[in-house]
Amino acid sequence: MAYLQAILDGILLGGVYGVISTGLSLVFGVLGVVNFAQAEFLMVGMYVAYFAWAYLGLDPLIAAPLAFGVVFVLGFYSQKLLVGRVMSAPPAAQIFLTVGLMITLENGALVLFGSDFRSVNVPYQIQGFRLGELFVSAPYLYAFLWAVVITGALWLFMARSWTGRAIRAVAQDPMAATLAGINTARTYNIAFGLGVGLTAFGGAVILPYITVSPTAGVQFAVLMFTVVVLGGLGSTTGALVGGIVVGIIQSLSGLLFPIQLQNLVLFIIFILVLALRPQGLLKGV
Amino acid sequence: MRLKPTGILLLVLFVVAVLLPLGLDPRGNWLRVMGTVMIFAAAAQAWNIMGGLANQVSLGHAAFFGIGAYVSTLLYINFGISPWIGMLIGALVAAGAGALICLPTLRLTGHYFALATLAFAEVCRVIANSWSSVTGGPVGLTIPFAGDAPMLFQFRSTVPYYYIILALLVVVSLVFWRIQVGAFGYRLRALRETPEAASVVGVNVFRTKMIATMISAALTALCGTVFVQFTFFFDPDSVFSLTTISIRLAMIAIVGGLGTLIGPIIGALFLLPLEEVAITLLSSQASGVAQLAFGVVLIAAILIEPRGLVALGPWIMRRLKGGQPSAPSDMTAKGETNV
Repeated sequence: MAYLQAILDGILLGGVYGVISTGLSLVFGVLGVVNFAQAEFLMVGMYVAYFAWAYLGLDPLIAAPLAFGVVFVLGFYSQKLLVGRVMSAPPAAQIFLTVGLMITLENGALVLFGSDFRSVNVPYQIQGFRLGELFVSAPYLYAFLWAVVITGALWLFMARSWTGRAIRAVAQDPMAATLAGINTARTYNIAFGLGVGLTAFGGAVILPYITVSPTAGVQFAVLMFTVVVLGGLGSTTGALVGGIVVGIIQSLSGLLFPIQLQNLVLFIIFILVLALRPQGLLKGV
Repeated sequence: MRLKPTGILLLVLFVVAVLLPLGLDPRGNWLRVMGTVMIFAAAAQAWNIMGGLANQVSLGHAAFFGIGAYVSTLLYINFGISPWIGMLIGALVAAGAGALICLPTLRLTGHYFALATLAFAEVCRVIANSWSSVTGGPVGLTIPFAGDAPMLFQFRSTVPYYYIILALLVVVSLVFWRIQVGAFGYRLRALRETPEAASVVGVNVFRTKMIATMISAALTALCGTVFVQFTFFFDPDSVFSLTTISIRLAMIAIVGGLGTLIGPIIGALFLLPLEEVAITLLSSQASGVAQLAFGVVLIAAILIEPRGLVALGPWIMRRLKGGQPSAPSDMTAKGETNV
């Protein structure tokens, strides 16, 4: 039963990991840049939701679209002013530009908000539902449901809207997309904003069961990369599947190993996947 | 062979470095700062063998740095083995770890390789933190004080450390230079440009990368041992740190000039004193300001001149010569930035 419970928790966690990682995957898939600062945008999203709760009294679940919007704008201009300039540069320049962005965002938050751990207070925080012998925690469930909704919305946006199609066209072939009349530079801005915005959305919905601090992003960085590499860099559906797989692994390893070693399991899986199937689990199967 | 401007500059820097302790207060802070500058220059030079010559951008050199620190210190604390010997054992262990990480990752390049090395260093950090019975866990390790004991790598004055570190920097730089100008360096550069073509003309891709990684790892481990002998105290989060070790080493090499002999030296001379000044000036401000400046400098360096400070050399040379506008001299000057 404990295993079944762990798997259930893992799925609920994993759905959110999926949304968080979809953003990273989208950025890589469209821009071909691995964004090492992605987890810091998650942290920014958490802060937006936190302050919306502290000053406006908004529930983080309601503030999540606000977090998406704020970080979308931030991402849009980060891409326009910084990342866009190294898109044709060698990987070393791209890696270190985003690493620089990561350091800047993390310490910017430290300077602005201090190193305190902050958490929100919402009525459903310790509630839950009984499902036979299983227990479903309310904040985990709500976060999961929101994650499913936003993933569906993203899918609709990418499949139906003109901008979504433009993003996919640019990802496939920027040259051909330009010839078809798509403003490639602007599409990159939007794709980056959308990617980091989704991650920030994920950060906001988990706020009811997690604390925020300037280093909140770091713990998600390797997790995010593991999810994305499992699903195949650039694949957004892969990221969702990868997220749920990682959620279950993390939850099960919590049963089997002491808490400090949970991340170790994740890292080892990460290195193994990179070594054995760097193209991801889904591709070519 | 005519001595190139960078060669002259390196000689001048070396002479200044040798004479510097005569002019600085032996107990003062600046001598320690210069020691730190040179340790990081040496470690960045070791990183440069992989990151610069082979273009295998590693974000996990803290793993090797920390292995050097832990192996020598644990051997000393538990078995009384002098850190002088422990340092060499640490280098061997790090070379072994380098070979180990090569097995699954060598087929990877660019982003994938950076991610894999990053995860590897994190694995080391988690192990050092949780295997408390051996590593001391998150509390860290303090090197037992033995007074003035040269055989045990301990001195009361900063000056002997300073010269040991200078020697280390010279050794690592010589290794880098030897690789750069030798056949091995040509093989590495061939791999960097097009691995397929290099493989066709007979370069053993796997072996070449593996040897470069092992050399780089071993040299980084030496720096790790010397660093902790110099600071006397360390914990897993400081020696296996992503930002203060792994990223900093890469950043020093990149800001100075990727793949160049003088790059890491200039980079360390520029960045670390800047950081020191920022910390002294801004320490009254909120914490994080100095690190924030660090991040901004990194972004600015990459956007302004991705080739690093070294690329400014030819520009300065032209100014010194009185601004000869001829194009050919410009061309040769550009060519020299790679040396």
